[in-house]
Amino acid sequence: MNHFPEAWGRPRNDVYGAYDHSYLQTSGPKAHTSSPAVTGTSVVGVKFNGGVAIATDNLASYGSLARFSDVKRLRNFGDKAMVGFGGDVSDMQYLDRLLDSMDIKENYSHHGNMLNAKNLHTYLAKVFYKRRSEFNPLWNHVLVAGFDGQGEPFLSSADLLGTTFSAPHLATGFGAHLAVPILRRKFPEGTPLEQVSKEDAVEALKECLKVLFYRDARSADKYSIAVITKDGIDLKEDEQIQGQSWAFAERIRGYGAQTA
Amino acid sequence: MVEYAVKAVENGGTAVGIRCKDGVVLAVEKIITSKLLKPGANKRIATVDRHVGIVSAGLVPDGRHFVSRARDEASSWRSTYKGPIPTSAIANRLGGYVQAYTLYSSVRPFGVTAIVGGWDTEAELPVDGQVGNGPKSGSGGKVEGAKAGGPGLYMIEPSGLYWGYYGAATGKGRQAAKAELEKLDLSSGNLSLADGVKEAARIIYVAHEDSKDKEFELEMTWISSVDGPTKGRHEEVPKEILEEAEKAAKRALEGDDEEEEDKGEGEQMEE
Amino acid sequence: MTSLMGNHSGTIGYSFSEPTSANVKQHSFYPYTDNGGSTLGITGADFAILAGDTRSTSGYNINSRMVPKVFKIGGDDETGEGANIILSVVGFAADGNALKEKLDTMVRMYKYQHGKSMSVGACAQRLSTILYEKRFFPYYVHAILAGLDEEGVGALYSYDPVGSYEREQCRAAGAASSLIMPFLDNQVNSKNQYIPGSGEGHALVPKKAEPLDKETATKLVKDAFTSAVERHIEVGDGLQLVIVTREGIEEVFHALKQD
Repeated sequence: MNHFPEAWGRPRNDVYGAYDHSYLQTSGPKAHTSSPAVTGTSVVGVKFNGGVAIATDNLASYGSLARFSDVKRLRNFGDKAMVGFGGDVSDMQYLDRLLDSMDIKENYSHHGNMLNAKNLHTYLAKVFYKRRSEFNPLWNHVLVAGFDGQGEPFLSSADLLGTTFSAPHLATGFGAHLAVPILRRKFPEGTPLEQVSKEDAVEALKECLKVLFYRDARSADKYSIAVITKDGIDLKEDEQIQGQSWAFAERIRGYGAQTA
Repeated sequence: MVEYAVKAVENGGTAVGIRCKDGVVLAVEKIITSKLLKPGANKRIATVDRHVGIVSAGLVPDGRHFVSRARDEASSWRSTYKGPIPTSAIANRLGGYVQAYTLYSSVRPFGVTAIVGGWDTEAELPVDGQVGNGPKSGSGGKVEGAKAGGPGLYMIEPSGLYWGYYGAATGKGRQAAKAELEKLDLSSGNLSLADGVKEAARIIYVAHEDSKDKEFELEMTWISSVDGPTKGRHEEVPKEILEEAEKAAKRALEGDDEEEEDKGEGEQMEE
Repeated sequence: MTSLMGNHSGTIGYSFSEPTSANVKQHSFYPYTDNGGSTLGITGADFAILAGDTRSTSGYNINSRMVPKVFKIGGDDETGEGANIILSVVGFAADGNALKEKLDTMVRMYKYQHGKSMSVGACAQRLSTILYEKRFFPYYVHAILAGLDEEGVGALYSYDPVGSYEREQCRAAGAASSLIMPFLDNQVNSKNQYIPGSGEGHALVPKKAEPLDKETATKLVKDAFTSAVERHIEVGDGLQLVIVTREGIEEVFHALKQD
């Protein structure tokens, strides 16, 4: 009798040969994320007089496959700030949980959550930078929107490398190419924030999302938009791009339907 | 030994919890031990997770450690199950924890009796970090009109013993408080949270009658249903409502005093 | 700078090298990026200037037109009040920020522990150590540190990404350094300038470099940047000028072309 209990009930080596462990990789380098899997595309944000507006579409892609079509890429942090996530969705979920647990801990004291959007952005940027320094990046590019310590509207970006920058209007991914020029034309830099109304800002974001939907093959026409003011966060998660006109597509030659 | 721990609890400021139909109230009588203490500071009711609060009577440092453990349990539950811990589960975990401190000669039992109040959400809650809504119908779809969640109130004693309650009281004035709680007919489930707040304040004032020479401060928190005033969160009762409840409590007490002069002191009870 | 880090090209096909499995390409995470921009520093007998443009770029994108590159080090609060040392960083901005914060903390700790401000010379050595600590995963930045030395004379130290450093009169770093540095050599250190009529050919007497006054230096900085903006796409938007004198630190911003 075999006296090793772990061998009981297993195919006998003398009959079937030794077990082939080769498929179980036990050595070799530890694999870290070297490319994102399920991803969200652009995030766009604009500061206006008395607040910030931020928007994303509701799509998560798996390569070129439109994998999930009702994904919420705008995440709130307490009632103080919003984070718009581009890039890897599972890393977004990780960060959302991280921020959630931080919000719960902040609320242990009855003063409530004292962290503003600026504090949150500093924290997120440090998390990103730490992870990139460990060669295990969180594959995201985020925009953080809310208010700073002085109560001024705050909008800032942080990415997987820990790079940060702030501007009156920002966009990640494809939006950096397509949305930023639109926003810079609508609200030239140097325009005092007092001259940008909430309505104009929201309108501009919708325009940007539409252009992105026309030209970014990894985008969708369902989107979420959040408007953050002193009164709180107004988040809409089930919006539809209005007034599309695909007439321009007719004139595109050289690929697609027309080849001549 | 557990008996000594119970003795410690018997002398702590009175704490009560009331399980109402649309929320839970926690209240504590905070005896002012020094005029140098800042009013409103040194809170005795703690938030453990968004939807759970704990108030305890007995040794304050033991209470703090107890709360710290409760917070760890709540957060570890979240990281395991990606959702909020049910009130019953946290009571169970804490009961087990307290009980373990009665087993070994190297440790001393908790010198607290704690009241755990919570609201398990009745809304269908996304798991933490959830990204979409899931299918609207069919496999994995929503079940219409499924009832879930509600208020939870538990009291954990130094022995590790815990029960669920409609109304719970501990600390020095617990006998008077329990008598008052019994009059409320909580089991019928008719008491509203708004009335519960008033009753809790009144009961703390009634329970304080026996140690009238000492000044005290009333601390009160509540957890309402998701469509109620706190949206399922454990929060302090707002100042205006608290003051209103205190005023009503004082009025009720003055009325009682007049009655009592007629009846004499017949309400005193022994354990 | 690109030569400093990872070699992305394929393996060299020596006949004796181990055959690699056919066409397996491993994508690996590259932890750096270049955020463009340029910095420059000039010192004189009683001042030191650090300047940088405020543009931040990623490839051909302008991230923002207002990202300062010059920081006060060892101040009492986040505004930098009470500092007497300044640092400019250009290259990979996230590393730059991390480096700035680390140095800032150390200079502040020095003040708390010793009850006096750190000298620029000591700070310069400390910065070198911080950079060298990450010799095999460097901070991808060109740093310039400036302040006044113990004699009150303007002091400027320039660094490579792994901490080798020297004290200089002036230094340009970053994207347009190759455009600005020769200009500085000529105007600050009087390189290739001779005293007219002092001789013929090799007998010409070189002009001796004299320390500049603050106004002249400031003008040189502005000229250097307006010119760099014309010729380098990563430079522009705004000019941040930070000047250390005995009176303290003065900071001014000027507009640069946004194209």
